Amino acid sequence: MARIGSLPAGGSVAATRQISARTVGRRSGWTLRGLVLLFLVLMLVYFVIPLFWLVVSATKTNDELFSTFGLWFAPDFHLLENLHDVFTYDNGIFVTWLTNSAYYAVVSALGASLIATLAGYTFAKLSFPGRELVFAIILGSIMVPNTALAIPTYLLLSKVGLVNTPLAIILPSLVTPFGVYLMRVYAEQALPDDLLDAARVDGASEWRIFWSIALRLLAPGFVTVLLLTFVGTWNNFFLPLVVTNNPAYYPLTVGLANWNQLSQAFSGSRILYTLVITGSLISVIPLMIGFLFLQRYWQGGLTFGSLRS
Amino acid sequence: MNRGLLFCRARGMAKAGLLLLLALSISSYLVACGGTPASSGPVTLTFWSWVPNLQQAIDLFEKSHPNIKIKWQNVGSGGTEYTKLTTALKAGSGAPDVVQIEYAYLPQYILSGKLVDLSQYGANDVKDQFVAWTWAQVSSGGKVYAIPQDTGPMGLLYREDIFKKYNLPVPTTWDQYAQEAIQLHQANPKIFITDFSASDGPWFFSLLWQAGSQPFVVNGTTIKIHLDDAAALKVANYWGNLVKSGAVSTAADWNNDWYAALQNGTLATWITAAWAPSDLEGFAPKSAGLWRVAPLPQWSAGEQASANWGGSTDAVTTQCQHPAEAAEFVKWLNTNPESVKILTQKLYLFPSQKSALQDPSFDTANSFYGGQQVNRIFVESAQQVNTSFQWSPFQDYVFSQLQNQLAEAVNGKISFEQAMHNTQNAVVTYARSQGFTVIS
Amino acid sequence: MIPSRHMARHSQTEAIQQAIEVQELAPPSSGLLSSLRHWRHWRHWRQRALIPYLFLLPFLLLFSFFILVPLLYALWTSFFIERLIGGTTFVGLQNYQEVLHDGNFWEGVRNVLLLLFTQVPLMLGLALGLALLLDSQIVRFKTIFRLGYFLPYAIPSVIGALLWGYLYSAHIGPFAQLAELLHWPPPPFLTAAGLLPSIANILTWQWTGYNMVILYAALQAIPPELYDAARVDGASGWEIARHIKIPLIAPAIVLTVVFSIIGTLQLFNEPQIMTAIVPNLIQDHYTPNLYAYNLAFTNQQYNYAAAVSFVLGAVVFVFSYVFMLVTYRRGQR
Repeated sequence: MARIGSLPAGGSVAATRQISARTVGRRSGWTLRGLVLLFLVLMLVYFVIPLFWLVVSATKTNDELFSTFGLWFAPDFHLLENLHDVFTYDNGIFVTWLTNSAYYAVVSALGASLIATLAGYTFAKLSFPGRELVFAIILGSIMVPNTALAIPTYLLLSKVGLVNTPLAIILPSLVTPFGVYLMRVYAEQALPDDLLDAARVDGASEWRIFWSIALRLLAPGFVTVLLLTFVGTWNNFFLPLVVTNNPAYYPLTVGLANWNQLSQAFSGSRILYTLVITGSLISVIPLMIGFLFLQRYWQGGLTFGSLRS
Repeated sequence: MNRGLLFCRARGMAKAGLLLLLALSISSYLVACGGTPASSGPVTLTFWSWVPNLQQAIDLFEKSHPNIKIKWQNVGSGGTEYTKLTTALKAGSGAPDVVQIEYAYLPQYILSGKLVDLSQYGANDVKDQFVAWTWAQVSSGGKVYAIPQDTGPMGLLYREDIFKKYNLPVPTTWDQYAQEAIQLHQANPKIFITDFSASDGPWFFSLLWQAGSQPFVVNGTTIKIHLDDAAALKVANYWGNLVKSGAVSTAADWNNDWYAALQNGTLATWITAAWAPSDLEGFAPKSAGLWRVAPLPQWSAGEQASANWGGSTDAVTTQCQHPAEAAEFVKWLNTNPESVKILTQKLYLFPSQKSALQDPSFDTANSFYGGQQVNRIFVESAQQVNTSFQWSPFQDYVFSQLQNQLAEAVNGKISFEQAMHNTQNAVVTYARSQGFTVIS
Repeated sequence: MIPSRHMARHSQTEAIQQAIEVQELAPPSSGLLSSLRHWRHWRHWRQRALIPYLFLLPFLLLFSFFILVPLLYALWTSFFIERLIGGTTFVGLQNYQEVLHDGNFWEGVRNVLLLLFTQVPLMLGLALGLALLLDSQIVRFKTIFRLGYFLPYAIPSVIGALLWGYLYSAHIGPFAQLAELLHWPPPPFLTAAGLLPSIANILTWQWTGYNMVILYAALQAIPPELYDAARVDGASGWEIARHIKIPLIAPAIVLTVVFSIIGTLQLFNEPQIMTAIVPNLIQDHYTPNLYAYNLAFTNQQYNYAAAVSFVLGAVVFVFSYVFMLVTYRRGQR
């Protein structure tokens, strides 16, 4: 971004034009630019329209949802009432779910990225017997679908008495084979060996080298894993559905699905439909904000995953 | 300089993160342990049920039983709950003490030995308070595995305005129903007499039930399977012809499109059960006053055969530490007059209790149905349900196979008759592979 | 913040050059050097030898408990049959033999392969095109576009189900409403014929932005000096993209393809969503992963479900491996 920003866009186009003036006239340059912009805007509409529907629908009453055109607002604006309903329905259980989601996602993301960073760094910068074998097993585990793990995981958690506790959701979320892969590749490229060796000569312990030198240089990769795990845990449905039976421990995804099911099945709960929609909108907002503010970090980190092979 | 700043921040962040992680983990562990009830004092029972607003009845129970506390949890309806229940029962922990189970799914939990025999806690004392077929489905040879909670005797909801507009009488036989389906669709191609949903196995089974089909006769581990008996083929062919004629729609039920179709007059009837009238008021509020109720059409004129669709029971699992208290709760919930009144008149469950069916306050006029006494039709229907109908101890599998096959049939890949044969073959193979002795 | 970004940029640059120019040269092993250096300090050395394992301990413990042990347990159960009557018996490879002859399983595999060969090229082509356009110098407001494209990735599939169930609806969906206004028949999103394209669309919607961001990040890491020469030589934007940019980000493209192969072959969420919307069109074995799930949770055939999962894992492995082998060979030439 900085690179593009530092070069005035107009200037570079002018330079290009000067050079290939025979082929690219002033007008066709503008047409091309217009066409590209049109294409990009159309794509933006494609990606954003379902969300636009969500925003519009969150401002409607249950009746209007089914009787008015879906992609525009109804005459009366019902958002505040809907918000009030979402937060007060069933003694405000939505707040519990929101807190749970945040709690699970924050703890899992922090823990998972620390653990993955430590492991990735070790794979990249410390040599030990069995390194490639262990790494291959970790990566190979991605090939087998998660559904195969559901029942064995439940049985294990149940054996140690963790089913139906927050730890049943958090502990499995701390394992990110992809995060380890990403951090290994990142560490291989972002950490110069000379720097680490110099520290070793100075007598620094391996832990101190990791904690004081490596971690700082690995920050963009760390943030990337952090965000990926945060999104993964925040949006996870399958794991919490299987391992929690108590609505007080549900995250938003499971809670909203539960409301949705109720709204479909019982007349008395029909009103829940607007709550599901408004609740969904609320649940998406924290992620949007997170992406917006941390984008410069995670985009830098993502590159590194792709430089291997 | 900048490096130093960043360095500190990164380290501080990581340290803070680690501390936070530790603190949160510890606190969550404490929370998890805090939930365990003390050994003395009141007994706490967890209860899974998806009946909305059940708390009213529970409050009443806790008031009269101060040493029993009920922790009611809605973990999802139907399949969602069963998935959790099955997994928890398999794992040996995590299952509730008391659980709502539909009639059709009861045998598979009974077979696995995971439900407490309630007869040792006096469940047979309340036997005579329940409609005969419901008790037949919760008990076997004197053992009682659940208490009936509610039922769904069937009837026909129809749009009086549409039938009047096209000068059609309300059908009393299935032949007449099929003829009128075609007449109606010819008169107005936008109208279908009803929707045939291939994805609703329990609904299709209730049609088999009414036709006198006997798909399963279970005797311990010996099972007679006949999903393609004469009655079943009759039902399958009947719907196959209607689907082929285009006079019925074939969308899935229980989704927004289907609700819209019920509300806007696209569907002229709904072959449904006694719990449906109150649901319909919620799905299709704008069609208030246009609907009426009639008995289910018959296969031969003058017959009075009905069937059941849906309805639930309440059972006690073997993971329960206090089965006597749990048995007391399920008995009380479904027999105490005040509780039954809440279930049937506030939560709109259709009763399985004889007394509730006779209760004059249950026989009220409903303005959504033009002032008709809706429940009266279903109370009659409840008396006509065939009591010898049985479910298989692997009904989940049967439904999923049937739904697969019916979907193929609706999409025109196979005939409806073939769908029944295929289901029969798949289920027989499955039953054998599961160790059952299959006889024909 | 800025210095760190520059630093990252530089090491990225080096890394890219390394990746392109000296792919076969492995960097010297630092671990070996350091252990040589401490050769005489025997105790110290022994302590050091333990350190890698200590560092890996947290991850390996959790990995073992939540992935390895469950996987091994699933593998173990796949050699048994548990009957409702008569308990559990060892059957060796019988479950695997059945999977290989199971028409339902291969029907599911056919569906995901169809998606793999149609939807994935489309999605990645779109992602690459968008990334190149956003990286080119003719576009402004890049941040808005990039975030907008990426947004669907942040939507949980449960909510995605809600969105698309409504948008696809033939009665109350906005596209159906528009069609009715124009006296057209409603678009056939939720019919037997329209189903696979509808699923492909949800996949494209959800994952294009994610792939685009990976490719865009790789493009941003290319040192700008590399194009300056080409630009002076009069190369057009298209030519620069074709001959400089795409070859340089080839590793990133390979990565997105491998992810898409794994993700598509293990497809579960989207068909599961569609089951809720059109249960009469999606059968329990629409994708192999959905099949394994239904076998385990509906039919209670846990052992067979485990075998299906492992055969699927093998299929995933074969496809990813073949793809990487092919691209590696090409890279060697």
